[in-house]
Amino acid sequence: MVYLKMNHVKKSFGSLEVLKDISLEVNQGEVVSIIGPSGSGKSTLLRCATLLETMDCGDLSYLEKSAATIVNNKTVYERPAKLNEIKSIFGLVFQNFNLFPHFTVMKNITDAPIHVQKRKKNEVCQEARNLLAQMGLSDKENCYPYQLSGGQQQRVAIARALALKPKVLFFDEPTSALDPELTGEVLKVIKGLAETKMTMVIVTHEMEFARNISDRIIFMDKGVIAVQGTPDEVFQSEHTRMQEFLGKLKH
Amino acid sequence: MSFSVILSSIAEGMERSVGIFFLTLIFSLPLGFIIAFGRMSKNKLLQAIARFYISVLRGTPLMLQLMVVYFAPYYLFGFSIGNWRYPAIIVGFVINYSAYFAEIYRSGIEAIPKGQYEAAEILGYNKIQTFMKIILPQVIKIILPSVTNEIITLVKDTSLAFSLSYMEMFSIAKQIAARETTLMPFAIAALFYYVFNLLVSVIMEWIEKRMNYYR
Amino acid sequence: MKKQLLCGILAVSLAAALLAGCKKEDSKDDDKKDGKKTFTVGFDAEYPPYGYMDDNGDYTGFDLELAEEVCKLKGWSLKKQPIIWDNKDNELNSGSVDCLWNGFTMTKRESKYTWSDPYVDNSQVIVAKTDSGIKELKDLADKTVGVQAASAALDVLQDKEEGQKELADTFKAIQEFADYNTAFAELQAGSVDAIAIDIGVAQYQLNSRGNDKFVILDQHLNAEKYAVGFKKGNTELCKEVNEALHTLKKNGTFDKLAEKYDLADMVCLEE
Repeated sequence: MVYLKMNHVKKSFGSLEVLKDISLEVNQGEVVSIIGPSGSGKSTLLRCATLLETMDCGDLSYLEKSAATIVNNKTVYERPAKLNEIKSIFGLVFQNFNLFPHFTVMKNITDAPIHVQKRKKNEVCQEARNLLAQMGLSDKENCYPYQLSGGQQQRVAIARALALKPKVLFFDEPTSALDPELTGEVLKVIKGLAETKMTMVIVTHEMEFARNISDRIIFMDKGVIAVQGTPDEVFQSEHTRMQEFLGKLKH
Repeated sequence: MSFSVILSSIAEGMERSVGIFFLTLIFSLPLGFIIAFGRMSKNKLLQAIARFYISVLRGTPLMLQLMVVYFAPYYLFGFSIGNWRYPAIIVGFVINYSAYFAEIYRSGIEAIPKGQYEAAEILGYNKIQTFMKIILPQVIKIILPSVTNEIITLVKDTSLAFSLSYMEMFSIAKQIAARETTLMPFAIAALFYYVFNLLVSVIMEWIEKRMNYYR
Repeated sequence: MKKQLLCGILAVSLAAALLAGCKKEDSKDDDKKDGKKTFTVGFDAEYPPYGYMDDNGDYTGFDLELAEEVCKLKGWSLKKQPIIWDNKDNELNSGSVDCLWNGFTMTKRESKYTWSDPYVDNSQVIVAKTDSGIKELKDLADKTVGVQAASAALDVLQDKEEGQKELADTFKAIQEFADYNTAFAELQAGSVDAIAIDIGVAQYQLNSRGNDKFVILDQHLNAEKYAVGFKKGNTELCKEVNEALHTLKKNGTFDKLAEKYDLADMVCLEE
């Protein structure tokens, strides 16, 4: 089943065309990484997919439920009620974590399931504890975010996203704000999720990591998908921009 | 006039000052939010009204505003409400302070990173939940020192009610001073104001400390 | 826990505020009862001996006691409303007071208000420090003279035809004050050299501050009369009060009060 489908997505900021006619599909259980130089439109694509940004043009659907369709060359979004339903399908992990600083770790994870999804409190708390254990943070449930390292905060953010049981999980450069020695612990968690066949779309600069866990890699450049395919296909591609990009990274 | 009579008269005036103080806070703190929302509204008309409200009320003296509120019904519309001194004073103080609070709230709300709103949106919170649960608690922590400043100013500003001849602490002190032909009652009034403000600062500091559980 | 505490604080403060608000309603200067007609007198509570605070912190004075007697006679209930003298016209016009009764100078204001008959003959005088060397009006040349804002003394100093504008022009400056307490504090401190003031008020101030420190110049600025001022056109109420004043004069209450306040030499209400 196709979990995420985007068609002919275009987006400009003023006169700057950031996304130029992008189409992509993500299937159930697939892990897709999006790589590319800064300003290539990776994050904007992610923000359009998660409805944080509106598309100028484009179709968007999750699990075959349409969120936006092209009518006369313009995007028409569904009614807010329908969009809310669609929003519950996916989760997003931010580059800067965006944890709520005035909530404890526990409350950060459980508040939305309890007050948005209206689920039972003790059931949610039990699940939250399981998630924290999975993240290796069992002893941190009563801490506030400022008491945690960046890596720990990002793991809490992942737990927070998972607590809502999303069908698709997006990551927006999840390790870019972290010290190099803290990226490992976060990547390990994401790798663990990939092994459980979680459907994920990951924008990242960690090439080795992307190569290891992805089923498919999309290389974006100047607002278009330049290369896509299996990790091996992409990394061995003859595409000049791809080669330049990899070459720069190696130096 | 014995010292104890002077003291008890000033204390009675203080009671009225405290009345102005609390009623002003109770109404202007929430009203400030409404103005702040207007000021930050995407609706250009609402925004213009709020901007005008804030600029006039911050740009003219409170004493003048009190007199306008009290006398405007007669001079502008020709009807006398009679002796509505106290309500007029409260109205004057509330609108004036709401303008200041509105700007403090705006600064606090705008200081919250966009990521907090985005995280709340992704997690499915609706607009009201986002504001009440996520944004407001953080705003309160940010604006507390500025609010404390305003509150302390308010304590002293209550003396401006004298311009509408309301017998609060300062007016009483003035009258006793006139009768006794000394300036001593002002010293007593000053002490009362100071103690009142000391109390206010202690309470506000305590609240600030309570908010310090996170950074 | 936290929420309860906050609610508690809020409730207590609300109660306190409302209490303080109500307190005003039932305080001594504001008793409205038995559906009696309320007669609201606007006065300057810093204007002894006509209106001021007594030993117990209540408002009293020659004018206020007279007003009380009038009310007793007419079966009204008196409300003493202290006002800022600068605002007296606003207060009267907007209806928040029924009359201005507080050593209110009628002379030269005849056409601005509806007046009762004059009841006190008052003069504007100059008060100076005893050791200042100011003995007569011409000594005021190049001196700074203090005067209450919006007062009769100020009117006199600004009136070209019948007043003392010419004299005032010889002053170095005229310094306006909101109240006499400040004026005397400045006189004592030397930042003004003299004060132009009603004679009755001057006598009270000198009695209380010591007759040896200040003098009232023998030359008066003018002679003028006090009366009760009503909003222009309010002849009905004015007539009622006027009649009551004459009744008080007849039965001796008026003179007794004048004695009490040391004003016997100055009263001028005719029977």
